[in-house]
Amino acid sequence: MKARLFKALATGVVLGLATASGASAATECIAPANPGGGWDFTCRQIGKILFEIGQVDEPVQVTNMAGGGGGLAFSYVVNERNDDENLIVAASQATATRLAQNAYGGMTSDQVRFVGAIGADPGVLVVAADSPLKSLKDMVEAVKADPGSITFAGGSAAGGFDHLKVLQVLKAGGFDDIRSVKYIGLDGGADAITQTIGGFTQVMTGDMSEIVGFLKSGDVRALAVLTEERVPGFEQIPTAREQGYDVVAVNWRGLYVPKGISDEAFQKWADRLANVAASEQWKEAMAANGLAPFTKVGGDFQEWVDGVIAATEELSREIGVIQ
Amino acid sequence: MRTDRIFGLAVVLGALAYIASAFQLQTSFLSDPVGSRTFPIIVGSVAAVCGLVMVVSPDPEPDWPHGRTWARLGIAVLVLVGYAYALRPWGFVLPTALAAGIISYQINPRPMAAALTGIGLSVGLYLLFKYALGLGLMALPRDFPG
Amino acid sequence: MEIFANLALGFSVALTPFTLFLAVVGCFLGTIIGAMPGLGPSNGVAILIPLAFTLGLDATAALVLMTSVYYGAMYGGRISSILLNIPGDEPALMTTLDGYPMARQGRAGDALVISGVASFFGAFMATIGLMLLAPMLARVAYLFGPAEYFALYLLAFCTLGGIASNNQAKAALAAAIGLGISMIGLDNTTGMPRFTGGNLHLMDGVDFLVAIVGLFAVSEVFFFIESHGRGSAIGVKLARITIPVKDIVNSGWTMVRATLIGFFAGVLPGAGASLGSFLAYTGEKAVAKDRDSFGKGNPRGVAAPEAGNNAAAGGALVPMLTLGVPGSGTTAVLLALLMTLNITPGPTLFADRPEVVWGLIASLLIANIVLLVMNVPLVKLFVRILTVPGWVLLPMVTMISFVGIYSLSGSYFDLLLMVAFGVMGYFFRKMDIPTVPIILGILLGNNMEDSLRRAMVISGGDWTFLFSSGIAIGLWVAAIAGFVAPMFLRGLLRKPQAITD
Repeated sequence: MKARLFKALATGVVLGLATASGASAATECIAPANPGGGWDFTCRQIGKILFEIGQVDEPVQVTNMAGGGGGLAFSYVVNERNDDENLIVAASQATATRLAQNAYGGMTSDQVRFVGAIGADPGVLVVAADSPLKSLKDMVEAVKADPGSITFAGGSAAGGFDHLKVLQVLKAGGFDDIRSVKYIGLDGGADAITQTIGGFTQVMTGDMSEIVGFLKSGDVRALAVLTEERVPGFEQIPTAREQGYDVVAVNWRGLYVPKGISDEAFQKWADRLANVAASEQWKEAMAANGLAPFTKVGGDFQEWVDGVIAATEELSREIGVIQ
Repeated sequence: MRTDRIFGLAVVLGALAYIASAFQLQTSFLSDPVGSRTFPIIVGSVAAVCGLVMVVSPDPEPDWPHGRTWARLGIAVLVLVGYAYALRPWGFVLPTALAAGIISYQINPRPMAAALTGIGLSVGLYLLFKYALGLGLMALPRDFPG
Repeated sequence: MEIFANLALGFSVALTPFTLFLAVVGCFLGTIIGAMPGLGPSNGVAILIPLAFTLGLDATAALVLMTSVYYGAMYGGRISSILLNIPGDEPALMTTLDGYPMARQGRAGDALVISGVASFFGAFMATIGLMLLAPMLARVAYLFGPAEYFALYLLAFCTLGGIASNNQAKAALAAAIGLGISMIGLDNTTGMPRFTGGNLHLMDGVDFLVAIVGLFAVSEVFFFIESHGRGSAIGVKLARITIPVKDIVNSGWTMVRATLIGFFAGVLPGAGASLGSFLAYTGEKAVAKDRDSFGKGNPRGVAAPEAGNNAAAGGALVPMLTLGVPGSGTTAVLLALLMTLNITPGPTLFADRPEVVWGLIASLLIANIVLLVMNVPLVKLFVRILTVPGWVLLPMVTMISFVGIYSLSGSYFDLLLMVAFGVMGYFFRKMDIPTVPIILGILLGNNMEDSLRRAMVISGGDWTFLFSSGIAIGLWVAAIAGFVAPMFLRGLLRKPQAITD
């Protein structure tokens, strides 16, 4: 009996050795959320490609550090790993939104270094296939006529990115009574879309990647995509801008690294990330997951993020999410 | 009898504090008829009622341990708390050997066996977690000489 | 038959000597991971994902490995529940109620075999259900809005009275404590923190795994220190291990009922495996004639939750594959794995990528059979755990718990919280306050509150919305019946019981 257990364990050891040998130099990618979400996807996908295209010698180890909507990982990196050159952390528009709304307990974007974004998930507003709402105008007018008649569903809490998209569009349409807008935040975009197809909510607000399958199956119809131009592959969906509502909202996906690393190390990460962005594997991954190409890597990315944060902060204040 | 009465009272006080802090919660700026407070207040009220029931009709006194056992339990709690703090800065092997050894000694006071248990478990589990399961554990402190 | 053609396609991609080898390794690792307190199916799968990439596995092989680990962990969770009264993960929680009493009576082997067979039955039937009904069942998720989910969670709490406790007030108190703890963290609706005291570690709330491991594993250590292991299952003279044919046959219908309940709970994205095993257990107790022997080592009390949670694990794949909605932590990890492999689950997955779906189904069937074949003979090995002296076993359980919880978030804070739960568990168990409702409260509290609040947002504060559909009304009726029935039944049952005792 013991011998058999030992043999099986030995098999495990052999299998495991490959992962763990020389783990000291291996890159660690922190996904500041539980497995299964967007940050986890970023870490696992980028980590996988980094290894496949030979940018790192060891497979990237993904650590899930859920807490405070990314705040726990942020403070951990700032306080305890500030000079670790083998550490990358997944980031997205959600990181910027939370920094803008001061949801990380007073921490600011300049306490880390944002390396870059290598893809973006365009914001969308969708309705069930049989909905009477045919265009963005229908939706805005319906809310104007009776705000109680439409419930929006999204994958973020009230005041989060999905909610802001709706409020921005309504504001662009001249509707200012933000408090009367009915919004429920669910545990993710897929949940929100299920509730919308089920008829419990009328409009779903989310990211393109969340609705691709449902668009193809014909269960939902997109009212608008919140990009500057129509998205390649989804040319049938009109932008909000061409319908007269000047709103652009994309959920970029990228990385940050600790503040204290050397400029060379930072540049190394920027180069590696750029190589991932240029790889076939990443293009495939983007196509499969409904991401639009969106590459901003290196020195000026930090400024761009700061701009995004400032804009989000202003918007949140205007809308009343923060005082 | 006494235990249930005291505990019931503690529950009532705790529940009241919980309800009080629920009233401090910021309400939402958006349409949300139920709000952040309602559910915690309901839960706190249920707990308070249950606490009152325990005060009014307590169960028979549980069979509590005596002096020396309390001391051993206290030591065990302290060891576990210390272990929680030590795990990251000191690495896995050393704190585990210590903590496992002490816990083992508390269950069965034979120093040799406890020491062997501690060392065996710390090395064995380290190998299991590190190599069979691939968890990112550190054996020794980050800046350990050598 | 289209199904057979599809299945043949599935097996043609999933059944090679190499994938079979992976299935065996995955099932074994999964069983070990599942049995370790704190390490459950979801972190098991998450931990092993890098392994799949390191080995350069293709999509099918990676899926086979991961589903084997997934199901292996679902099987494995029961082992520590039965032998040590420590659930390896949350779906195995209910198995402690009758499994551990059986082990104390020297019937650990029987309990492990019965639960193994029940796990197989539940998982296998659920896989068949997934195969035949998935596209159709996906529609069920569209029927459940906030009002329906609220009624479903209410049903779970109303049947709490069916759980072993002599004092209803204490059971209710435990549930309230669990619910109170679940309120800690960011309020899902407003995004504002509640009851965190400004502590960043509490922002995402208290992880139920921390509570489970603390309440069960750590408190067990304290009991051992107090009693030196007297009264536990360790060192109990074991009956010879045979296949308890009679008990298995007797539990036949139990498994069928539990599988149905579990599968259905799994299909609903908001319910998941723990609710599946919980409702399977309380449901079984409600219809059983020998209701009083539940909680005292009734084999059917072992079969029901195990069939239920494994069926739910299979059922949870329905919304994951057809809607991309992960119904549980583990399916969320599997979803992440699929997306890393550039497979996006959704309504068109069955049509677009039949080789993936049917390969997955085939690998589930393979994993199940491997697990059954592996588990029954391994029972002899597992029960040996009970011959390990307590002064080795308990420190080992403690250390594994610490590492398991540490691997969740890498913070000492969760470890401290776990020790606190351990102290709480020690006192509560002394005072005969049941700990299962605490876990249930932590697991479901947020969902329950969120559904209520969402329902009220949608209806604009109109409470009648909670009873606005047939499904909701049906669940309310069941909940009220489940709450009231034990009170009357207890009155009826008391008298004859007094005579037979």
